[in-house]
Amino acid sequence: MKNPPAFFWFKLAFRKLLNNRRFSIFFIFNLALGLAGFIALDSFKVSLDNHLGQNSKAILGADVALTSYVPFEENTLNVLEEKLPQNTLSTRKITLFTMVAAKNISRLVQITGVEDEYPFYGKMILKKNGIVESENIEQSLKFSDEVWVYPELLFMLGLSVGESIKIGEKIFRIADTIIDDPSSSFSSFGLAPRIYLGYSQMLETGLLSKKSRVSYQRLYRLPEGADLPGLNVELKNKINDFEGSESKIRILTHNRAGNNLGRLLGYINDYLGLVAMIAVFLAGIGAAYLFRNYLVHSFREISILMSLGATRQQTYRMVLWQLGLLGTGSALIAIIISLGILPLLPILLKQFLPNGFETQLSPISLMFALVLGGVGSLVFCLPVLSRIRTVEPLHLFHENIEQKIVNSSFWKKQVLSYIPLLILSWSLSVWQSHSLIVGSVFVGMLLVSILFLGCIAWLVLAMAGNLSQISGSTMKRLAFRNLQRNRTGAISCFLALALGTLLINLIPQIYQGLQEEVSRPDDFRIPSLFLFDIQQEQMETLQKTLISEKVNLNYLSPMVRARLEKVNGKNFVYSDKVALTREQERQQSFRRRNLNLSYRTELSDSEHIVEGRMLATNYDWDSGKPAEVSLEVRYAERMGLKLGDFLTFNVQEVLVEAIVTNLRRVQWNSFQPNFFIIFQPGVLEDAPSTFLGSIGGLDASGKLKIQNRIVSDYPNVSVIDVSRMVERALKISDQMVLALRLMAYLSILAGLVVVFSIARHEVDGRLWELNMLKVLGAKFSDIQKMIQIEFAVLGIFAGLFGVVLSLIMSYGISWWFFENLWKWTWPTSLASIIGVTSLSVGVASLATSRTLRSSPLTLLRAS
Amino acid sequence: MILKIKGLYKSFPQDNHKNIEVLKNLNLQVEEGETVAVVGQSGSGKSTLLSMLAGLDRQSSGSLRIRGQEISEMSEVKLTQFRAENIGIIFQQFYLMPHLTAIENVSLPLEMFGHKDSQQRSRDALLQVGLAERETHFPHQLSGGESQRVAIARAIVIRPSILLADEPTGNLDNATGIQVSNLLFDLVQTTGMTLLLVTHNIELAQRCSRQLQLNSGSFQ
Ligand SMILES: Nc1ncnc2c1ncn2[C@@H]1O[C@H](COP(=O)(O)OP(=O)(O)O)[C@@H](O)[C@H]1O
Ligand SMILES: [Mg+2]
Repeated sequence: MKNPPAFFWFKLAFRKLLNNRRFSIFFIFNLALGLAGFIALDSFKVSLDNHLGQNSKAILGADVALTSYVPFEENTLNVLEEKLPQNTLSTRKITLFTMVAAKNISRLVQITGVEDEYPFYGKMILKKNGIVESENIEQSLKFSDEVWVYPELLFMLGLSVGESIKIGEKIFRIADTIIDDPSSSFSSFGLAPRIYLGYSQMLETGLLSKKSRVSYQRLYRLPEGADLPGLNVELKNKINDFEGSESKIRILTHNRAGNNLGRLLGYINDYLGLVAMIAVFLAGIGAAYLFRNYLVHSFREISILMSLGATRQQTYRMVLWQLGLLGTGSALIAIIISLGILPLLPILLKQFLPNGFETQLSPISLMFALVLGGVGSLVFCLPVLSRIRTVEPLHLFHENIEQKIVNSSFWKKQVLSYIPLLILSWSLSVWQSHSLIVGSVFVGMLLVSILFLGCIAWLVLAMAGNLSQISGSTMKRLAFRNLQRNRTGAISCFLALALGTLLINLIPQIYQGLQEEVSRPDDFRIPSLFLFDIQQEQMETLQKTLISEKVNLNYLSPMVRARLEKVNGKNFVYSDKVALTREQERQQSFRRRNLNLSYRTELSDSEHIVEGRMLATNYDWDSGKPAEVSLEVRYAERMGLKLGDFLTFNVQEVLVEAIVTNLRRVQWNSFQPNFFIIFQPGVLEDAPSTFLGSIGGLDASGKLKIQNRIVSDYPNVSVIDVSRMVERALKISDQMVLALRLMAYLSILAGLVVVFSIARHEVDGRLWELNMLKVLGAKFSDIQKMIQIEFAVLGIFAGLFGVVLSLIMSYGISWWFFENLWKWTWPTSLASIIGVTSLSVGVASLATSRTLRSSPLTLLRAS
Repeated sequence: MILKIKGLYKSFPQDNHKNIEVLKNLNLQVEEGETVAVVGQSGSGKSTLLSMLAGLDRQSSGSLRIRGQEISEMSEVKLTQFRAENIGIIFQQFYLMPHLTAIENVSLPLEMFGHKDSQQRSRDALLQVGLAERETHFPHQLSGGESQRVAIARAIVIRPSILLADEPTGNLDNATGIQVSNLLFDLVQTTGMTLLLVTHNIELAQRCSRQLQLNSGSFQ
């Protein structure tokens, strides 16, 4: 005996699906809708990674760069540059933040001084003169002291090209505006537009000596085929050998520059991915339900095949082929749908996206879609699939005897069949969120929600059964009876609706509180202006100036730059391995050695101690004891520091011993100057420091006046308009929420498709008895009413419990992440309950009206 | 001797944890080419007997040999294969695959095992049941009698040595039933197959070379 040709089972499966066209179409469309969002997001992510990968050199403008906050020493550079391969090109760059003023308005800007050859990669494009030739960039700038500026600066300052602008002590002419700067990033949120000028003019502005925070860069272009990672290690080793300020030189490779840019977008994408997963999940519930009914109807055919000599394995194989075909079909449709969604994402996320970014459906995403379609439908239907075990061809001989082989091993296997689903969801969400914790918490919450909602559904349906005994009209009674009878269908509908409701409510609910808090216009707690880079010797006169303007400088805090050398006597190491998860990434970005310290005793009203005691008032140098410091609690967590740890700081080459005396929680949304590390007074006073502070309660003209006064009298002090910053942040988060909402709507759509297919299926299955009702005298409208009552009951309860769960969860999340900024907006809740109920009734009516209208004559024809 | 049953018992577990004995100490010997009718009241265990002969169920005790091979000792895989080669089954409800055409239904048991000449053989089988021109019709386009003829073609296409029929005319009207049974007996005669026929139609039973009455679990 031979085996059948390879495609035999495939052919059989395919024929079967063609014959059950309605089921196939529903299954495919249902799953496709869920997959589409996921695929679109994945393509977006891949496009972004590609873009950043390709453009990371342009973002840095070089292969590798050295940065320092002090000018490079000739000797030091020589030692380092010895390590570079021959034929390496180099160029210099200086960046600093400062205020510039024109016509009574002043703004914080980023000044960048560049010399010839900058940038090595990417092209800067000017509005008037087009592409900048990097070979003589400085020449073109030096020529009659010109600068190029970002267009928004002209707008902010009311200037136009050709007019002049004073930077530091020198006056420049605005020669052109920059329309494409490959190195631009969104990290400053566009608060400080850039000005490019020649390297040598930069020196003439006189700002270098006044500014406390100047970044000096050496950019290098390595010859083709150079070993960048190896070079990175060699340079790092050299720098570690240095002492003093030389040891603070940082190496910036182009990959890292690209990563920094991608991080913010990465976060957004992570959360979008999780929301899209819920859509997949809802679609999966629908698909599993549809498949279950389909499979039960296939049992007889499976029996026939077995009686003709097919083994159970072979029939499994045939069903697997069917699932594979359906999954592939879904993936293909999903790809088509996602082609529609994909162009929307860049529009929604425009604020974050680098210039010249384009989304493309990548081959990787296509592969992923196909695999997810196939594996996903298989995994979702596995619990159903395992019912093939119960098929006995024996039944062909006894149609009317129902054989039940339900023993403990059946249940064990049934439970086991859910495990792949769990594993798939878990790994997908960990992968989507790039975080073991976030991913696991997400799946956990999803699971708990499903269990909770499942129990509720079960209770509601049991209740419906009881109600059917006491409620009045026949149709109502029948409706309640049906709900109780078709539990699987009803529970699936309930879950789909409730999860959808949960999702569309959760995101706005969390955001609501944040927005309320941040955008309250008359809240004087949010400062108007932030001042920083104030020199110690300017303090007194500055304060006098401000008092003469009738404002106070609040929360004045000193800032001392230092480096963490040792923790409990051991050298503090920061790794720069490639971060795999967001936690690692965040940890690495926190594990810096160069830190900003401050000192004071009192707590501000936006912070409180969670562990330990208040810092002692004044440090006694003769005591020989370590100084007391306070750490922000989450910062300590990420740095791996605990109460009682001994820290050794290097403050301008003086080693300072400190002990962690308390951990403090800071309410960052108060927008007050705050520090991760605060010393007790009496330790850092003699170290060189700058000060920062805030000014509150100013209106627009007041802000302008103060800002201008400071810029003219104290050119080195930088001023940030906090309300503008908050505005920007809100705008950006608005966009994020919009994108998240879009995904949430996709998932409620997937939920409605589930309701549609289940409603239609239930009614088709009940055709016989519905027609019987008609024969007995029920009108079309009566039967329709019965269906509507069923789905109204499901809708109301699903909406209600979806909303309740969203309130609980949003409260929890707000409490945990946003210091309890939570606000219940009941109209939204009410609206979504009503909305879900009417959608449920509407969709169910739509799905069933044709079948309900059919003539009871079919009763006679169908036998 | 093609079939030999000795001391066959079959019982089913029931909800109240007591077993019901459907077949008790059943004995039967059938020679090659014989046609045997099994009659008995509804519920007397006729189908149960057939399902065990078809290898779809296993006896509680006793021996059941087809062509000298003990069915109960075969593994599941072996049994499936044995059935596919030796046993043709005809059901009361026809049980055609609704999404396959007549010829595809007939060729199914051959294609499943990759027979090269499956097309030709199925066409021949359809010709034998007089439905050559209905090849491409789907089951819902066929009448009851035609459907059963297709089912018969499907059963004989593997050239089984033993044909099991469970009330093959039970779902058909009288005239059609007679047509179908004529066809069945013609086929059996020309091919020399062994037929085991379950029916409660006395006339149909009379056409067999031997009639057995199943009563309280064994033949009388
Ligand atoms: N799988 C089973 N489980 C329990 N009882 C069964 C099963 N199959 C058959 N029976 C019982 O065995 C008896 C014989 O059934 P069956 O062989 O179908 O009778 P017949 O075909 O002669 O009408 C009936 O009483 C039936 O209830
Ligand atoms: Mg029977």
